[in-house]
Amino acid sequence: MSEFGGCPGSRAMDFRKSEAQEEAPAAKVQSQLQQWPIQLHLISPVASYYQGADVLLTADCVAYALGGFHNDYLKGKSIAIACPKLDQGQDVYVEKIKSWFENAKINTLTVLIMQVPCCMGLVQLAKQVLANSNRKVPVKAVVVGLQGQILSEEWI
Amino acid sequence: MESYLNASIKEVITKFPKVGEILGEYQIGCVPCNVGSCLLKDVVEIHNLSEEEELELMARIAGEIYPDQHIEIPRIGRKEKIGSKELKYSPPIKKLVDEHVLIKRWIAFIPQVFREFNMDSVEDRELIQEGVNFIRSYADRFHHAKEEDILFKYFDENSDILRTMLEDHRNGRSHAKAILEALEKKDRQGVVEHLMAYQELLTGHIKKEDEILYPWMDRGLSVKQVGELHSKFVEADNLSDRNGIERCEKFVQEVEKKFRKEEST
Repeated sequence: MSEFGGCPGSRAMDFRKSEAQEEAPAAKVQSQLQQWPIQLHLISPVASYYQGADVLLTADCVAYALGGFHNDYLKGKSIAIACPKLDQGQDVYVEKIKSWFENAKINTLTVLIMQVPCCMGLVQLAKQVLANSNRKVPVKAVVVGLQGQILSEEWI
Repeated sequence: MESYLNASIKEVITKFPKVGEILGEYQIGCVPCNVGSCLLKDVVEIHNLSEEEELELMARIAGEIYPDQHIEIPRIGRKEKIGSKELKYSPPIKKLVDEHVLIKRWIAFIPQVFREFNMDSVEDRELIQEGVNFIRSYADRFHHAKEEDILFKYFDENSDILRTMLEDHRNGRSHAKAILEALEKKDRQGVVEHLMAYQELLTGHIKKEDEILYPWMDRGLSVKQVGELHSKFVEADNLSDRNGIERCEKFVQEVEKKFRKEEST
């Protein structure tokens, strides 16, 4: 198999830049996290910070790839993180997302995923809830490239 | 085939091990993955094969899964890339675009309505009255009110583009009033002129909104504002006269039925 074969979700790739390509260090970035916990198994979907909130459901890897994650996406939003490939018990995830829609009456849901195919599972969970929930909420899917570029951003 | 496209790759390869080998020939190395939760369709899509390669791959997979059957080879839809010409609206804006569809269905038949309009026919006069009721109840109170009372408040209502839209709404109301006045006076020419003018006005108005105004608004709305708009539109719809809206939907269906039938005879 060639070096381009294999699962894109776990294929090794080297993005290191030469010193000349590296940008000067930016000013210290202020964290925009406004809650704890954040892992989807650990959160309560009806916690105060989800009530009427704009919620970000993020695949675990996104925050490491997306340079402007805190200011561009997390700012002003409540969050939960999950891995659709490795996490167990994803039926619980469906129930929690549904509870955001119906009990916490969230304002919007933004699903941030990586471009690898296994990540689409997180969007599928949100779509499943959207189709079956009694209360509809605008859901946006954002796909992030492996080097932090935004590949697509669209309302479902 | 559809069920296997939506099945996890592990499930497909476990059931049909040869599929793993076929994928490997196209540099899609799912066999060693011990998770395998990706769906078959996502695996094919993400590898972005050429159309010919994808068709060939899908045909071979279909042949493996259904060896003795003729199966239509499914195409895997590509995700839209940023910059695509196709318009994608946020959910509340999409709702307004969808409401335009019913309005367009009615105004598409206006030329036929006025060509055959007989002022002495009670049925024809009732059709015009019901058409004006549609304009007032659906196009204006149900649809334009959401724009004027909710959506436009998020933007500068003194901007040229919004002033133009508001002027269109006012002109539409004037035509509706004039149609009824002409009907009252038994002025056929007046009815026809204002119906035609309304059709022309709304056709252009809807095109401007769908293709220019709404995409421009969508680009300016934050995620939070999209959520707020969605909630306010749902609330407005819940407060609307459901029977009145159903009457308008039924009116359009009946107009289509009547004039399509005449077209075919």
